[in-house]
Amino acid sequence: MKPSVLIVDDSLTVRMDLDGALREAGFDTAQCATLVAAREALAKAAFSLIILDVLLPDGDGLDLLRDIKRSLATASIPVMLLTTETEVQDRVRGIHTGADEYVGKPYDVTYVVSRALEFVRRGQEEVARDANVEVLVVDDSATFREELKSHLETARYRVMTAVSGEEGLRKAADLRPALIVVDGVMPGIDGVTFIRRIRSDVGLRHTPCLLLTASDGGNGEVQALEAGADAYLRKGSDMALILARLAAVQRSAQSTASWGQPTGYLAPKRVLAVDDSATYLQSLADELALERYDTVLARSGQEALDLLAVQPVDAILLDLIMPGLSGEETCRRIKSSPAWRDIPLIILTALDEKEAMLAGINAGADDYITKSGDFEVLKARVRAQLRRKQFEDENRRIREQLISKEMEAAEARAARELAQTRAQLLSDLERKNEELESFSYSVSHDLRAPLRAIEGFSHALREDYEPRLDENAKHYLNRICEAAERMSELIDALLELSRVSRREMHFERVDLSALAQSIVAELRRAQPDRQVEFVVEEGLCAKGDPPLLRVALSNLLGNAWKYTGKREEARIEFGVRTLGTGRTFVIKDNGAGFDMEYVGKLFGAFQRLHTDREFAGTGVGLATVQRIIRRHGGDVWAEGVVDVGSTFFFTLPIVTEG
Amino acid sequence: MVAEKIILLVEDNQADEELTLRALARNNILNRVIVARDGVEALDYLQGSGAHASKDRSQMPAVVLLDLKLPKIDGLEVLRRVRADERIKLLPVVILTSSKEESDLIAGYSLGANSYIRKPVSFEKFSEAVRHLGMYWLLMNESPPVR
Repeated sequence: MKPSVLIVDDSLTVRMDLDGALREAGFDTAQCATLVAAREALAKAAFSLIILDVLLPDGDGLDLLRDIKRSLATASIPVMLLTTETEVQDRVRGIHTGADEYVGKPYDVTYVVSRALEFVRRGQEEVARDANVEVLVVDDSATFREELKSHLETARYRVMTAVSGEEGLRKAADLRPALIVVDGVMPGIDGVTFIRRIRSDVGLRHTPCLLLTASDGGNGEVQALEAGADAYLRKGSDMALILARLAAVQRSAQSTASWGQPTGYLAPKRVLAVDDSATYLQSLADELALERYDTVLARSGQEALDLLAVQPVDAILLDLIMPGLSGEETCRRIKSSPAWRDIPLIILTALDEKEAMLAGINAGADDYITKSGDFEVLKARVRAQLRRKQFEDENRRIREQLISKEMEAAEARAARELAQTRAQLLSDLERKNEELESFSYSVSHDLRAPLRAIEGFSHALREDYEPRLDENAKHYLNRICEAAERMSELIDALLELSRVSRREMHFERVDLSALAQSIVAELRRAQPDRQVEFVVEEGLCAKGDPPLLRVALSNLLGNAWKYTGKREEARIEFGVRTLGTGRTFVIKDNGAGFDMEYVGKLFGAFQRLHTDREFAGTGVGLATVQRIIRRHGGDVWAEGVVDVGSTFFFTLPIVTEG
Repeated sequence: MVAEKIILLVEDNQADEELTLRALARNNILNRVIVARDGVEALDYLQGSGAHASKDRSQMPAVVLLDLKLPKIDGLEVLRRVRADERIKLLPVVILTSSKEESDLIAGYSLGANSYIRKPVSFEKFSEAVRHLGMYWLLMNESPPVR
């Protein structure tokens, strides 16, 4: 089936001209001279494209445009406004109303046909695609989010939502949506920052973004486009308009993303001419029309910026001396925007404006030309700049493709290597754990058996040969038994130490106060004759593995208990202090203490600061404590004064309430 | 006549065997003790196979003292096979081992051990444990009927 174009124009000449050219290019056409006729035609038949005049005998073409973009049945039909240019603002307004293209009269018929073919081609690509395009909506307002979501879903988009920029970035990275709609004003990461981040991500760089904002005026718009947004809409806009813009953005993104044939050097170009003199602009426009450019005439720097914000151009001719925003400043703004800086910009100067010309070049202009010169030179310069831009575009495109392929390959390689390394490490770790496991098992089982024999037979010797042994022999036998017992304790302590390193941890909220109370109660049961005052702060909680924390606290409290053994009035305190940034748990006793000179040895395995005669012990307890606390991501340290007492400090992940 | 209450001691370590026998004697537990020195021997005795094929099946032990680390078939496997054998699955089995590894404890009880005793290095303590063990399994406990 041939694509069909609806031509709405009150000028018979225009209609016939377009009709002939479009038919020749393979289109079916329908012609209307009025809005009423156009509405009738739209109700009856479907069109692939609408070419619409703005000034019509029975009303404003923009009204029809608005209705087309609002109705679900017609919203996806591209509309090309074709109208006598009066003001740049008309163009801006037309595009804001939802026009997909805007061409000024007098037009170049080949330009119009070429654009028409382009739209139809895109439309076909779109149909060939999956209808369920995924859209990510990022907005902190639930009301707006839901409203837009329901509209989008009606239009057969698949919608995901995020309530903040942060969540949006996460979801965008995870779900790779085809389109993103983001609110400009949000707490935390705002819309502009959001889009900048999206643009800096390799995977999301080309995802079209539409920025919504409540703010009025061109400034927000320029800001949005500078950040890399593909389109910009005020939040108050009609939902249908938002949908239409979204569809348009998606369409244009597809045509660039698919890297299809880029617009060739010979394809029609749009040139923006900026001058405060209407006379000069007009003669410039007439000359440029001969080159078949679609020429946009702007009367001021501000108008030029407004136009650029809504419609891309291929070249800019800029007068330097203008009231309001100067040519130099306009040039600087254009050249400092990532979206526009590659557009060739030629400054127009009078012969005697050498200083101004230099300023313009310094502000980033690509070329200059004197106004008084003949137009042939000007046109040649424009052609040259367009050609240069074309080559640059192609080079950049190739470069970008290469870089992005290389980056993808590098990323894939890195990911693969990482996965391999991780798998290797994991299997190494598992193997080592298994080795350790079987080693500990052997230690636990086999090392003890000979000890039992040594102890057992010494015992038997003493028992069976009692009458024949003198005191010395009995003493030696006792020593043998004690040594065997001691070795058995050391084996147990070592096993405990290795167990706390291997044990799989399950984090829960642990009531340390209750745990400490129960440990001290055990200590009291074991030595009921000792009088120890134990003071514990209520409600000390931490996150950790309950069995391991019990081992750690048992060692610390057991030490405090042991080293206060020679005190008449022994006292142990367990509490919390705020030191530096976090909470630190403290266990303090008034026992034997230690010399700070040896504090470095305190937590080493088999390191002891007291002899067994003074206080029995294996020298493994504090090493065990340190391993447990460190495995929890905390730290442990100590202070002591000989004969005054010791204080142990440790940190643990704190339980956040609620 | 009341059936004699036999103890089956499954132990490969000669020193441990001697010490266990000594501890039993010291506590006046004078029941007959049969020693199996690996898992196969133990199972042969209990299932009436191999060297014990012609044995009188009424002479089932009142309690089996089972070490875990054994040549050929280890203690846990012996236990599993005992519990899987209809004829002897009710037999009281006490694990008597050096290991206090949690995994052994869990495996032992999961397979149906009646008790789990870790042999202490101190003979005094071991002797005490054996005394309790004999008291309970040989005096207090009623043996299951022999099938």
